[in-house]
Amino acid sequence: MTLNRQQTRVLLVLCGVSLLFTAFGMRLVQLQVWQRDELARLAAANRERVVHRQGRRGKILDANGNLLANSQSVRIVVADPSITVSNATTIARQLSPLLGMDEPTLVAKLSGAGRYVRLKQKVDEETATKIRQFKFKGLVLEDQFVRSYPNGALGSHVIGFVNHEQVGVQGIEAAMDNYLQGRAGYETIERDRKGREIRVLREERLSPRDGYDVVLTVDQVIQHIAEVELDKAMAEHRPQAGVVIVSRPQTGEILAMTSRPTFNLNEPGQAAADARRNRCISDVAEPGSTFKIVVCAGALNEGRVTLADRFNCENGAFLYAGRVLHDAHPYGVLTVEEILYHSSNIGAAKIALQMGPAKVAEYVRRFGFGRKTGVVLPGEVSGIAHPLNRWTKLSITRIPMGHEIAATPLQMLMAMNAIANGGQLLKPMLIRSVCEPGGGPVLKYAPVVVETPITAQTSRWMTTALRKVPTPQGTAPRAAVPGYDVAGKTGTAQKIENGQYVRKYYSSFIGYLPADDPQISILVSLDDPAGGTYYGGSVAGPVFREVARKVAQYLGLPAQHAESETQVAKL
Amino acid sequence: MRSNRKREPLRLGTVAKALVVCGAVAVAGLSYVYQKNQLYRLGDEVKKREATLLAVEKRNALLAAQLAQFKSPAYLEARCQQYGLGLIPPRDSQVVRLPEPGREWDLAVPQVALVPAAASSGKPAPVKKLAKKVVVHR
Repeated sequence: MTLNRQQTRVLLVLCGVSLLFTAFGMRLVQLQVWQRDELARLAAANRERVVHRQGRRGKILDANGNLLANSQSVRIVVADPSITVSNATTIARQLSPLLGMDEPTLVAKLSGAGRYVRLKQKVDEETATKIRQFKFKGLVLEDQFVRSYPNGALGSHVIGFVNHEQVGVQGIEAAMDNYLQGRAGYETIERDRKGREIRVLREERLSPRDGYDVVLTVDQVIQHIAEVELDKAMAEHRPQAGVVIVSRPQTGEILAMTSRPTFNLNEPGQAAADARRNRCISDVAEPGSTFKIVVCAGALNEGRVTLADRFNCENGAFLYAGRVLHDAHPYGVLTVEEILYHSSNIGAAKIALQMGPAKVAEYVRRFGFGRKTGVVLPGEVSGIAHPLNRWTKLSITRIPMGHEIAATPLQMLMAMNAIANGGQLLKPMLIRSVCEPGGGPVLKYAPVVVETPITAQTSRWMTTALRKVPTPQGTAPRAAVPGYDVAGKTGTAQKIENGQYVRKYYSSFIGYLPADDPQISILVSLDDPAGGTYYGGSVAGPVFREVARKVAQYLGLPAQHAESETQVAKL
Repeated sequence: MRSNRKREPLRLGTVAKALVVCGAVAVAGLSYVYQKNQLYRLGDEVKKREATLLAVEKRNALLAAQLAQFKSPAYLEARCQQYGLGLIPPRDSQVVRLPEPGREWDLAVPQVALVPAAASSGKPAPVKKLAKKVVVHR
């Protein structure tokens, strides 16, 4: 059978069409089967994008819910130089005044290598809106959280600050970083032809979670009072450093904690490292006479002495182990009570001798010295309290007057709190609760009793003696608070430089009020006050009085007795 | 051939069925398109609301920080001084403290509340003064 010409043509066309369809089919198989995975990935990459969303860092609030730290959203201006290179000069000219950067720098960044260059961080919303209006291609505004501290330097050593990665590096910011940090989330979005997100196709993989809020025991008004009074003392006495801590003796709550020098939380990088140090927990010094409370409380608790027992104070010079121990003023025979409020070194040494070194060492430990208080803040040190086997023969007479031992201001305050609250050594509390963002508490903190070094009866005896310290008979008449019964103890410790005692002093006063039912306890310490006056009662006592008076007024503590007209006039 | 074919009468039922099926398919198709459009429209709406929410949250955080600053003791003291208001906290001797109200006060409150209002006169029932006014002297 021979094909005619027409049939041959039809056959050829058919073959051609078949080949064409076979080729198309092969191509489809290649695209849909052989290269499927790769092409599907490319297509997805073209329209899909993974967006990371940052959880907001939690807030830090004071005891009354006042904001101490929060996170605010600002913008980062980002450029893709592969796109901006063609228009770098124009973009730089427009952005230069808005970003506060010079044009050559901007041009260099806009036409540099890579596809992601940060032009400026922490750009406010107003500037961001202006930049957006230019509609420059290759320019993106990304979100960024920055930490904001509305009160500036207030409570800086307690609150702490974060680094550029929003990770806490000091204070509560560091201690509670795990709670404060929000959890970052991410989601996959699909974009339309113009690059806009198609909302209905969004797939949320992991939702971001804001960080927990941390509520402190610190009260910003009391903190302010403490800082203002410390600043006044710094201006008047020009010491190298100063510390004020206010606490509740019954619970161990810290109501205010401040030290000088200080720094602005919004610009921590501008301050010297020295100013950023929280001296309340990181600096140790010989406490001086404030330490007599430990030995006297121990002796009373052990029944070795009573308040009425009498000791010969050797008229101010007591030879022991080949060294002479002096008193600031010569005293004859004093009772234990008088030894406390006259602050006799010889009397305290003789009480310790009566107790014996083992018991003294035991009470030093039971009052929490030589170990950390357990405050939540990072950077706390243990202080120095030598074990009994490292004591010299002189130690038994030196430790009672606060030498040969080193403590932080917080350790001293906690020891005084144990005397004030009926004998319980408490762990200092700085955090009241951890709350859901804008919601209820998920964690509540309660007072923790570390030890019970003395009985309630001993505590009352000690209060009886310490009440006379801020009276004309005692060492700190200027620490008396009009209207209130105050119990306290002064301290004036010589500083050691290069292993030698020098004529520089730590002046301190620790007290509580009302003496019978203590609601607040306050420690004031000034390191090397200038101007010739250095006694704790004269330098730290008045600061204590002013802080105590204002805090009592703020907390509405009822006065025990009416203020005299003279006292009112003085105020 | 044609002449041999028997003309069938038009069956209305079949036509109606076909129309219903076609209508249903058309309605389903149109509904699908409508619903799809609605989804996209609502998606856009949600996106806009999300953007608004984000902006409001940002502004809220900013205002919270500003409020905290205005409420800070340092700022309030500075403003008091600036305006010369002469405000000072009252001293303890200037405050009258009242004892915590006891059980009789708890009983007294519902009694007062339950007294029917003087409906005839249209005036509210007089409320007994239960506590002294707190006086703050300057």
